[in-house]
Amino acid sequence: MRLPLGIWTVEGDEITVLFREWGERTTQLAQSGVGTSVDLIGPLGNEFSAPAAGSRATIVAGGLGVVPFWLLGKRLLEDHVRTRVVLGARTASLLVGASELRALGLRVELCTDDGSDGIRGTVLDVLADGPPADIIYGCGPPQMLRALCAHAVSSRVPCEISMEETFGCSMGTCWGCVVPVRRGAKQGSGYPKAPGESRQYDYSRVCADGTVYAAADLVWST
Amino acid sequence: MTQLPGERIDPTTRIGNAELKNFVIAASGCYNRGAEFARVTDVSAYGAITLKSVALQPRLGNGMPRVLPTPAGMLNAIGLQGPGIEHFLKHEAPHLHEVPTAVIASVAGFSVAEFAEVAARMDGLANVVAIELDVSCPNVDREGECFAANPDSTAEVVRAVKARVRLPVIAKLTPNVSDIQPIARAAERAGADAISLINAVRGMAIDVAQARPWLANVSGGLTGPAIRPVAVLAVWEAAQAVRVPIIGMGGIETGRDALEFVLAGASAVAIGTANFRNPDVAAHVADALCVAAEQRGVASVRELVGLANPGFAAERLR
Repeated sequence: MRLPLGIWTVEGDEITVLFREWGERTTQLAQSGVGTSVDLIGPLGNEFSAPAAGSRATIVAGGLGVVPFWLLGKRLLEDHVRTRVVLGARTASLLVGASELRALGLRVELCTDDGSDGIRGTVLDVLADGPPADIIYGCGPPQMLRALCAHAVSSRVPCEISMEETFGCSMGTCWGCVVPVRRGAKQGSGYPKAPGESRQYDYSRVCADGTVYAAADLVWST
Repeated sequence: MTQLPGERIDPTTRIGNAELKNFVIAASGCYNRGAEFARVTDVSAYGAITLKSVALQPRLGNGMPRVLPTPAGMLNAIGLQGPGIEHFLKHEAPHLHEVPTAVIASVAGFSVAEFAEVAARMDGLANVVAIELDVSCPNVDREGECFAANPDSTAEVVRAVKARVRLPVIAKLTPNVSDIQPIARAAERAGADAISLINAVRGMAIDVAQARPWLANVSGGLTGPAIRPVAVLAVWEAAQAVRVPIIGMGGIETGRDALEFVLAGASAVAIGTANFRNPDVAAHVADALCVAAEQRGVASVRELVGLANPGFAAERLR
């Protein structure tokens, strides 16, 4: 199994990935020294959509959910989209990426559950306190994404979420990394229901059909 | 012109009346029809690819999480998510002619009748040269007992399918039994043209932080190099019990690994999980088997089959 990692920055012919040492594989990768060759396949999956110049976008990330947003933030700036970034985490030590995003010229607001950096509160608290957006982009822990999706759907703001799962094959063949999506959603398997089945969701492969989903397509309780 | 190592060796094999251009097959559930892997490798390096199992009805599969990396392997419990035969025939079968190698269809069933029905509808599809039966499924007519855990159930499925199809039929057996030989013999007697083994080894993992099973399905199937010794023994024992060709699989990552299976008695080898790490694995393994034959001083990979196994029952397959 390959380790799914998000691309953080791309400058010239250098790409960087940002990850937390968490288990055997991430520790091994973190400890590999300069000159170690790494076998990778990618980039995999789809991408965020690009809003029109002059529109307003809000990026919302929880902890390491910031990873996809250096590239997106850079593109939004180049496309003259007015972009606000909200980064949240449980505590200050888990807040990452703010300085790199600011170096791009993005406006970054911070929040932590314990108030150790930025506003004490959640990303939704910060979101409620700012100007409305034409589109929201989100990535982070499931509880945060679930709340963000509910917020976006109820306030009728288009919202795109990048999902994370453990990958089996990374190629779209094994169906190991699925998330539930609304039945009929374009990224679902499209497989028919079995006779007598009443479910309103379908499974979608994060590695091949995602990682980006419309908030309105994601199903959080099955 | 200089010749590459192994180039003069005959790499072909036979599974029933199906001629494969080499010994290496993509295992079911790992490769679809190869379209995804074709973006990163040459799928035609495979002698055949096995499709994901198709059942009579659509199946949603298990909840998440479904996969977990383990020491030298992977645990999975996908739960046979699939489109069902109708949807498969309408949307996937029309693309089978695009596959750049032979195709083995895989059938899942939860009753004998289901196996026969789905297999009959797979017979004759473009490029399909054989039908593999995933008899490791639970049998709803016998309180969910796995077909392949029982010689009679295995035979019943094979017999019912053989009565309905013209293509060679492969029975894919589970290692989760105390003795593989009576089951392999029962499949052969019922008319199976080949035996493939092993399917995944049952296992589970517990998330100690949450104090609960890691997989939503609780138990899963272990694959990858961790199970290779289990698989080699199963092939060794089956090769002493039957005279039909054996497709050996379980944790093959290199030519050396594949050679173990061939020497134990496998007339072909299948690769699953290793594709996820090295998409070019098939070409390497196919070449390495030819080099091994050359080093042994024989003219074909077939001549290596069962060489390590004094009880090998099917010299004619060499």
